[in-house]
Amino acid sequence: MANSAAHTHEHHIVPTFTYVKTLVALIALMILTVAVSYVQIPAIGPISGTVANQVVALAIALVKAFLVVTIFMGVKFGTKLIKLWAILGFIWVLLIFGILGDYTTRKYEMAPSWDSQSDSALPRVAPDEPKMPRTNDLNVKIRD
Amino acid sequence: MSSPAITKGELKNQPQNEEVNYLNVEHTISSWLLTGDHKRIAMLYLVSASFFFFLGSIAAGLIRFELTSPAGVVLESETYNKIFSAHGIIMIFQFLVPAIPAILGNFLLPLMIGARDLAFPRLNLASWYMFMVGGALILIGMIGGGVDTGWTFYTPYSSMYSNTQVTLVLVGIFISGFSSITTGINFVATIHKMRAPGMTWFRLPLFVWAMYSTSLLMILGTPVVAITLLLVVFERLFKLPIFSPELGGDPVLFQHLFWFYSHPAVYIMILPAFGIISELIANFSRKRIFGYHFVAFSSIAIAGLGFLVWGHHMFISSQSMYESIVFSLISFLVAVPSAIKIFNWTTTMYKGNIRLQSPMIYAIGFLGIFTVGGLTGLFLGGTGTDVHLTATYFVVAHFHYVMVGGTLLGFLGGLHYWWPKMTGRLYNDGIAKVNAVIVFIGFNLTFFPQFILGWMGMPRRYHYYYFAPEFQAYHIMSTLGSSVLGFGLILPAFYLTMSLINGKKSGPNPWGAHGLEWETASPPPTSNFLETPIVLDEVYDFDPVSEHEQDMKDLDKWESTTDHQSFPTEDHH
Amino acid sequence: MSAISNPMDHGHDHGHEPGLHHQYEDMAQQSETYIVGMWTFLVSEVMFFGALFLIYTLYRWNYQLDFYIAHEHLDVKLGAINTTVLLFSSFTMVMAVQSAQLKNRLKVMGYLAVTVLCACTFLVIKYFEYKSKFADHLYPGAGFADDAVKAFGNHALENGHVAVNMNHAQLFYGLYFGMTGLHALHIIVGIGVIISLIRLWFNRANTVIHDYVPTEMVGLYWHFVDLVWIFLFPLFYLMPLPR
Repeated sequence: MANSAAHTHEHHIVPTFTYVKTLVALIALMILTVAVSYVQIPAIGPISGTVANQVVALAIALVKAFLVVTIFMGVKFGTKLIKLWAILGFIWVLLIFGILGDYTTRKYEMAPSWDSQSDSALPRVAPDEPKMPRTNDLNVKIRD
Repeated sequence: MSSPAITKGELKNQPQNEEVNYLNVEHTISSWLLTGDHKRIAMLYLVSASFFFFLGSIAAGLIRFELTSPAGVVLESETYNKIFSAHGIIMIFQFLVPAIPAILGNFLLPLMIGARDLAFPRLNLASWYMFMVGGALILIGMIGGGVDTGWTFYTPYSSMYSNTQVTLVLVGIFISGFSSITTGINFVATIHKMRAPGMTWFRLPLFVWAMYSTSLLMILGTPVVAITLLLVVFERLFKLPIFSPELGGDPVLFQHLFWFYSHPAVYIMILPAFGIISELIANFSRKRIFGYHFVAFSSIAIAGLGFLVWGHHMFISSQSMYESIVFSLISFLVAVPSAIKIFNWTTTMYKGNIRLQSPMIYAIGFLGIFTVGGLTGLFLGGTGTDVHLTATYFVVAHFHYVMVGGTLLGFLGGLHYWWPKMTGRLYNDGIAKVNAVIVFIGFNLTFFPQFILGWMGMPRRYHYYYFAPEFQAYHIMSTLGSSVLGFGLILPAFYLTMSLINGKKSGPNPWGAHGLEWETASPPPTSNFLETPIVLDEVYDFDPVSEHEQDMKDLDKWESTTDHQSFPTEDHH
Repeated sequence: MSAISNPMDHGHDHGHEPGLHHQYEDMAQQSETYIVGMWTFLVSEVMFFGALFLIYTLYRWNYQLDFYIAHEHLDVKLGAINTTVLLFSSFTMVMAVQSAQLKNRLKVMGYLAVTVLCACTFLVIKYFEYKSKFADHLYPGAGFADDAVKAFGNHALENGHVAVNMNHAQLFYGLYFGMTGLHALHIIVGIGVIISLIRLWFNRANTVIHDYVPTEMVGLYWHFVDLVWIFLFPLFYLMPLPR
């Protein structure tokens, strides 16, 4: 194990030009995403323009993230294990987004009485404890 | 030893000077508190986690005492809420989660894979300090007012209404959580990169596989609960309104995020116990474990599936019906890898050369108890029955069967098994065997009546039941059982401590067990192995021919320390 | 440090390499373990922020218009400048790692210093952004955004009445401060780590000069911080008008 490690880990030195290209691409993408945010993409079929705009913004962010992860963080030149970890991170984040499955299949309701009271301070004190019945049918005595 | 390659290794690793080991190499207090040695850190964890376990047990005792009368005995409602919260929080975050990984895992992982230490010794020490700081904050919170939210901290009660020390305790749990993440990182890096030459993935002992799965859960799950609890803290301190329904936030979201970690967390607690049981069953049946690959991958499968079932804690929240059905189905799927393990352990014992020494008795007890705990889980995983049983003592009994019957019995079994390795001393196996039986009886007497209680409708977290005094008989049975269990948990503290004073020297391998950790001296020298071992044979490679002689030798060793005349050898040769 | 040689190692004795910790056989093993450990840590960091992104997604989806109006107070220009600063700091960081591979000590220290400078610039800009939010009472709690028009502009008005739901705007700013705050905390930690790395290089410490991997680990952390911002920027600053 130690042997195979020794030569796979000989420094892979990436030329400076690759990094410069990546930086230029990243900044270009940044400018692109800002520019696109000022364009109101029209609705495409059932997809509303808002969603289209957001999807484009996120797609650009994903491309930027991909560039950073593969080149700056060196996953492209790394071992299989590193690639696995990088992918695992993204897959597991998607798993948390499984929580959204709940919200898309039920009505999202707000507490109606609370919704309008924006100016009231939060009820930080415990409400009065409900009074316990002192006795009951079975005549078991309740302590205080 | 059974195979020639191992025998060579054993000879190489006998230290010239028997006396120098990790325990006596230095004696100052700072040599313990600033150590990088995984074995010493494991001992630090053993002492501190036992302390927290003791505190949690006192809380449990108070709860059981209070419930002996339908009207309650000593505690006020408020106090009772604080006591059961303290019991849950201390037991889960300060004992069950770190117990096996941080004590036995820390001690054994490098030994089992033939490494000199964990990958990051200083991180390991830091993780103990985080554990202690987190624990200290939790204790300060408990003493300075307590917490009445239960260990689940459901919002909006915990974020808006509770006037107790929620903030402090949550910060404590947050810090403790980072101790668990760092332990996980350490284990993963160690298992990937620190294995001795020849120690391939499928030569790893199953305990190591279990530790690997556990570490994955710790790394991927703990950050989620950490940020969730931190948001509750922010909500209390800075009114950051993430879970406040009056500002449009969703309290159910807290439950989602909480259980996204806390369901995998129950696997963080039980998977290491699975690992221990695999070791015990194989080594005390003197057989290679049946279906090694299946047992190994079932750990990984449980870790993976464990992330997909959090919603089964939320059937009676406002969770969508469709998602509940999916969660219910996936929950039933978890039964598959769990059953694979149970069947494979049972099959391993079949026609094995079983030695009923104390660790094995714990392991057999585990099999029965875990099966009951696992099967009752199916009642709770079904969307229909769950509505009837949720928040009753049935749930309490179920998770105690898994957490106490599973994790604690696994831990005790493992502690007894590796105690000679950790301390170099033999304890009195006769008392230990009796104790294992006491624990088994006490445990079942405590928690089995709770299934019946829950089925009849006794709600959890109540401190009286004047509405149904007929429950009293079961409650008293349960309290009696808890006294027996308590006795069974105190007794090891005595005879194990006694073994340090007058126990016989154990030698490197008192059980005739198989595995790298038994090839070095007991207690191991600071660098574990004097020379890096080379693994040439398969795991649990018991050679049937040499078994018989080895049997006789090993049994002699133990027999002279106990009064028992005969071991049940059940020799099939 | 025990000089344990492994017969499988073809006779190479790596036992006395400077900068090698006792638990490792050789430098290659140590480097690989460091990298695996760092990536494992980053995966857990990803989960940490992942939960926050989920919360943001959920509320953003439910309260699109209110979030849109609330986001009007954010300054896209400052956000874009900050993004550029962080991207550039990632570049200098990666150049520092490359110089470490080439063992060019002065260059490493120079690039790291530029990285710290960028990080500080980021924080200063962030400070001014936060300041303008606080000036308009845009922090959660009683008295949130008491002057809605001043805070959010005319979008907030509809027929002369405040149309934005202040509760949901609070939720937006709760998330804004929570997420960018935690990100800023990571930047602050990063500055501390990079400065101590510069010190190690300055002192010619064995840990860094014989092996570029410790420098690379700091680099990985820094790129991760950059990565989080790459997603925070479009999600908070570049919100499309709901229509």
